[in-house]
Amino acid sequence: MEFYRSHILVCSGTGCHASGSISLKQALESEIARVGLDKEVKVVETGCFGFCRFGPNMMVYPEGVFYCQVQEADVPELVEEHLVKGRVVERLLYREPETEAAIVDFEEIPFFSKQTRVVLENCGIINPESINEYIARDGYFGLAKALEMKPEEVIEVIKKSGLRGRGGAGFPTGLKWEFAAKAEGSPKYVVCNADEGDPGAFMDRSTIEGDPHKLLEGMIICGYAIGASQGYVYVRAEYPLAVERLHKAIEDARALGLLGKNILNSGFDFDIDIRLGAGAFVCGEETALLNSVMGGRGEPRPRPPFPANEGLWGKPTVINNVETFANVPVILRKGPEWLAGIGTEKSKGTKVFALAGNINNNGLAEVPMGTTIGEIVFDIGGGLPDGKKFKAVQTGGPSGGCIPVEYLNTPVDYESLAELGTIMGSGGFVVMDEDTCMVDLAKFFLEFVQSESCGKCAPCRIGTKRMLEILQRITRGEGREGDIELLVELGESIKQSALCGLGQSAPNPVLSTIKYFREEYEIHIKDKKCPASVCAALFDAPCQNTCPAHVDVPIYVDLIRQGRYDEAYEEILRENPFPVVCGRVCHHPCESRCRRAQLDEAVAIRELKRFASDYAVSRHGSRPRLAVKAPTGKKVAVVGAGPAGLTAAYYLALQGHAVTVFEALPVAGGMLAVGIPKYRLPKEALNHDIDVIKSLGVNIRTGVKVGEDISWERIREDYDAVFVAIGAHKDRAMGIPGEDLDGVVPGVIFLRDLNLGKPVDLTGKKVVVVGGGNVAMDAARSARRLGAEKVTVVYRRRREDMPAEPEEIKAASEEGIAIEPMVNPVAILGDGKVEKVRCVRMVSGEFDSSGRRRTYPVEGSEFDIECDVFIAAIGQNPESDVLKDTGLNINRDGTFAVDPRTMETGIPGVFAAGDCVTGPATVVEAIEGGKKAAAAINQYLGGSPDVVPRSKHIRKLTAPVIEEKMPRVVARCLSVEDRVNSFVEVELGYDAREAQREAQRCLRCDVKE
Amino acid sequence: MKSLEDLERLKEETLQDIRLRTSSGSPRIVIGMGTCGIAAGARETMLAIIDELKVRRKFDVTITETGCIGLCAKEPIVEVHMPGQPKVLYGNVDPSRGRQIVVSHIVNHKPIDQWIINVEDNS
Repeated sequence: MEFYRSHILVCSGTGCHASGSISLKQALESEIARVGLDKEVKVVETGCFGFCRFGPNMMVYPEGVFYCQVQEADVPELVEEHLVKGRVVERLLYREPETEAAIVDFEEIPFFSKQTRVVLENCGIINPESINEYIARDGYFGLAKALEMKPEEVIEVIKKSGLRGRGGAGFPTGLKWEFAAKAEGSPKYVVCNADEGDPGAFMDRSTIEGDPHKLLEGMIICGYAIGASQGYVYVRAEYPLAVERLHKAIEDARALGLLGKNILNSGFDFDIDIRLGAGAFVCGEETALLNSVMGGRGEPRPRPPFPANEGLWGKPTVINNVETFANVPVILRKGPEWLAGIGTEKSKGTKVFALAGNINNNGLAEVPMGTTIGEIVFDIGGGLPDGKKFKAVQTGGPSGGCIPVEYLNTPVDYESLAELGTIMGSGGFVVMDEDTCMVDLAKFFLEFVQSESCGKCAPCRIGTKRMLEILQRITRGEGREGDIELLVELGESIKQSALCGLGQSAPNPVLSTIKYFREEYEIHIKDKKCPASVCAALFDAPCQNTCPAHVDVPIYVDLIRQGRYDEAYEEILRENPFPVVCGRVCHHPCESRCRRAQLDEAVAIRELKRFASDYAVSRHGSRPRLAVKAPTGKKVAVVGAGPAGLTAAYYLALQGHAVTVFEALPVAGGMLAVGIPKYRLPKEALNHDIDVIKSLGVNIRTGVKVGEDISWERIREDYDAVFVAIGAHKDRAMGIPGEDLDGVVPGVIFLRDLNLGKPVDLTGKKVVVVGGGNVAMDAARSARRLGAEKVTVVYRRRREDMPAEPEEIKAASEEGIAIEPMVNPVAILGDGKVEKVRCVRMVSGEFDSSGRRRTYPVEGSEFDIECDVFIAAIGQNPESDVLKDTGLNINRDGTFAVDPRTMETGIPGVFAAGDCVTGPATVVEAIEGGKKAAAAINQYLGGSPDVVPRSKHIRKLTAPVIEEKMPRVVARCLSVEDRVNSFVEVELGYDAREAQREAQRCLRCDVKE
Repeated sequence: MKSLEDLERLKEETLQDIRLRTSSGSPRIVIGMGTCGIAAGARETMLAIIDELKVRRKFDVTITETGCIGLCAKEPIVEVHMPGQPKVLYGNVDPSRGRQIVVSHIVNHKPIDQWIINVEDNS
């Protein structure tokens, strides 16, 4: 026999075949032969490792080195470096996404290390076409053991193990076998359901392709237990590789006498044949499947009688899923207690999941029952790509429901998933990110099920069609009041009256998305909007649709491209009175949805806005661009001159109302003036936008605090409507000892003092900032510029969980600010003044409702950071105490309760929006609030809710769309040395040439020709 | 397959074949295959070792390669790690010495002292 010193296993599942593993294997074999290593190195085909996203996969033994995405072109280097010289080829290793560290040993890759491979125990280790290798891994020993027991004893073993059907319903397998064993009738049959119709599910395919004998062994054991001598495997025809491997396995088993007459000299006969499906999803339903095996059309029938009593040709039949059978040999070999020791109380064993959708590690993972959804998505699945946020996961395919972020800590087992309104199903696990429209998702699944309905029963045939019609109407913008209730009513009656599982579960995706995402449906129906920018009939371009202020991005970008900068500025002004400001500080949600990112990178929408605004203002100064209507004689009071208040003032002034803005601070602008530092937003820039608003006749009275300098009652008397937009300027206290020491400054106060011109000198001081949001970043970067010797930001969660803009965090790091994640202060120590901060290290726990992990202090991990100035920036609340006796509805955290569409408070004529309603949010969201309030106020005062002037532009292409890759134009910014010593503006913007080049990249998604 | 014994036999036979992929408690040989090693003839040494193992029917030995450890003058260098024993480093191992190491150290558990350049210190 040959002595091979090395085995190379090349994944030979369909997934890797599709990415080139066949030619890879051939290239490997010929290169190995060429250099003369063919007597030392053996190349073996193996089954699916499950790491499909990173295929073709390869494992080199004896070292156990796991290579990913290996191409034919890599073969010469691989052979030369690894096989001849023994050096691992680093660039083909899997890289941990966070640390970029290459992992050599496949057991250390989190995707694999967190799995418990039982069904998949041989996949990736043996050659699926070798029965010998299966036997070497204890294959058919389970059968040998079973044949030494009495059939009833075998059933007892299965019952004791707690195995439940893995096809989706979870019926106790031992019980099913017992029914069939006791049923009257002969001959009996064993049928394996390998139809696997769920879109995106491929657990069964990989099991058959990677370890077909396991399935056969399980079926033979079942046959022995119930007294059957014939088995059928019903495989869908779309799995040619699985069918091929199964054929070979059956032939090899027959050749060795493990199938056929007198197996292992026991007197027991059993044979297996294959039956192919013909592309009908309904044939995954057991009675429809049996009908198909018998040559009929795939149509279910009423049960009882169940197949265990009357199945194929009316005889007792056990029909189980591939995964169920695959567990059987292992249970016989290792004993029922072994399986019962894995999983939860009612759901024993493991489950194989197919991870699909918006997830980094697409592939197959087998985990013990009871593993939480969050662990599967984030620890094994590697989280979502592109930093997108988790929205929901669909389990059980088109028959299942979705699970939103609040339930990430739910353990996966039959009962807990059912409680959430979904099902385990066959193991499909589709992860969806924030860019998924749940209404569209429900429509997609319903379309699938509708086309697969066999038509036999009216509830499914007609009911699902009617439900689909409603969903189609909604996604077209023709939703009606009452549609949601109708969908629920229809759905629930179909569930109760359909003949088979397909119909009974068809409404699940709809009912489940309505349950958890009802608001999204309501927005589609009432507002005719699709927030995720998916339902094409409901928006023009995703960027504009995502912008809270609905700025017409494609139009203004195109105007810039044409060199019509003034007009671009005017167009922006139509929907957003703060173009100069937003061009510098907006967090640009539009860019996160820019379709260009699928080609190369998102268009630099914010940078272009800055360019056009700066240009127009520098050429023509701040002057009103939009026509003001005739005076109405109505007076509106706005409390707070921040972005929400001034936006409302702007639109109301355009309508002809007399607007007076009361501002407690000595300057207008709110957080724009006293929060955001000058190096991000120079005062002149802010004043350009404020001047435009003032030039419309808006009267801004600074230094006047409503509730103190002027009474609320007076405002209510003198003005026809009041808009409260006081923002959130009160820092939350940390609540730790030492907060009263000299040197402790709350974040907002620190920034406000600085922005109002108070001289602050931090030369030589050590500054510690607590928090992970934009206020913390602003405070840290300002402290750096004020001469601090060292600035440290501590945050209690991971760096990726920090809510601040990634650009801000990056800039802070570049400027030398230390960021310490997973650290929380517990006390500030010092004698009269701050000397050090005592902190603890944090460790991750379960998920909270934001989809991030909660953190807990590690006992005994205290350590001190030397500190002179301590700035806490852990969140802000509105200073609404001053208005607490006005009758306004104020929540516990100080925010005002309002109608989300009209910003009306409980008091007629009084409205509120911005941070004082939402809690600390962003500039553009405050602008959105101001616009909505202006519309409602105008309507209240007798006008129409249309306060935004109509656009005069037509949507058409003015130049060919550039579809070749073209990198984003990067705007210049000051180098670190030039910027850390002063508050001079860091970003320098585009020049005209750069702006036009960047503007060309827009794909004009808004033009529908 | 007519009996459990038949199954057992086939298992044992094939187990040798795939032992490489699963076991970790078997004897290991590591052969230096850096440029110095290759130049000094480590490939020929390795082939001789493999052949001798085949002849002696010692199929449970794992052979891996490593790079230059810095003692280039002593290449080809072969490390022998018997389970439970400290690792032994042999120097100047030509094909003939390679075969003798297989017979004496691996099969008969007697290291050949005169060719040893280091024994792993586990204290």
